[in-house]
Amino acid sequence: MIDPSWIAALGVILFGIGLLGTFYHKNAIVVLMCIELMLNAANLNFVAAASHYGDVNGWVFTAIAIAIAAAEVAIGLAILLSLYSSQGTISLDAAKELKN
Amino acid sequence: MAVDFETIVFVIVSAAAIAGALGCVFSARVAHSLLWLMFTFFAVAAVFVIAYAEMLAAIQILVYLGSVMLVVQFGVMLTRRRIQDVESLPTLNAISAISGIGVIAFVLALIRQIMDHPNWEQPNAGAPSTLDFADSLFNQWTMATVVLGALLAMAMIGASYLVRDERLINLLWDMGVEE
Repeated sequence: MIDPSWIAALGVILFGIGLLGTFYHKNAIVVLMCIELMLNAANLNFVAAASHYGDVNGWVFTAIAIAIAAAEVAIGLAILLSLYSSQGTISLDAAKELKN
Repeated sequence: MAVDFETIVFVIVSAAAIAGALGCVFSARVAHSLLWLMFTFFAVAAVFVIAYAEMLAAIQILVYLGSVMLVVQFGVMLTRRRIQDVESLPTLNAISAISGIGVIAFVLALIRQIMDHPNWEQPNAGAPSTLDFADSLFNQWTMATVVLGALLAMAMIGASYLVRDERLINLLWDMGVEE
């Protein structure tokens, strides 16, 4: 098998790119996608450690993280749709309040 | 150092993942960002397979690419506006450049830390099997799985509450009032 530290390094690179995306974009949907990218990078770290130690808990944490990411994206997009219908924009610079 | 087949596959797959992530961050259009992100998630699923986590690769493709990306696509379609094309370009001013340099330095330092971490010096114990995964998930982490199901149900209910439409015509239709 490939050395797990390489998989962890790939996770670090993907995390950095996702972090850069959250800094650069003002469209809230793209920011949400970059957060998904960072969550996936964290999952890569879990999987690397699990396959290095032969410990299955890393896989369990990855499955839990994937399920929580699904819940997060559902709630996040519902908030964005609500924001869009009340203010007509989802630009993070233009939106001023979340109150309906 | 002999370059074996697995290393070549890993290099190709990780290059695809990084290229997809960069495409996601630097595309001008949101729909293109979404497609690049799906490409990255496929590559990450391939990395899971390389790490002998076939079940997680299946979960990744089914849950992320099947449902999460579908939901994001709905979000993109329902909020289509001029912002999607014009304002979603990365803002390349001085502050962004400085933060970008900072992030790159952070990534380089983190890679050095993570590659040299003493944990990796222990002998490789070999990957667990899918049977171990099922046993652990449903015997040791039963309560966590149940709580996770409750969390997902709450997220669905909360999402449908947040996007409710309170216009009078809908309320009247709900109550069965004829026009």
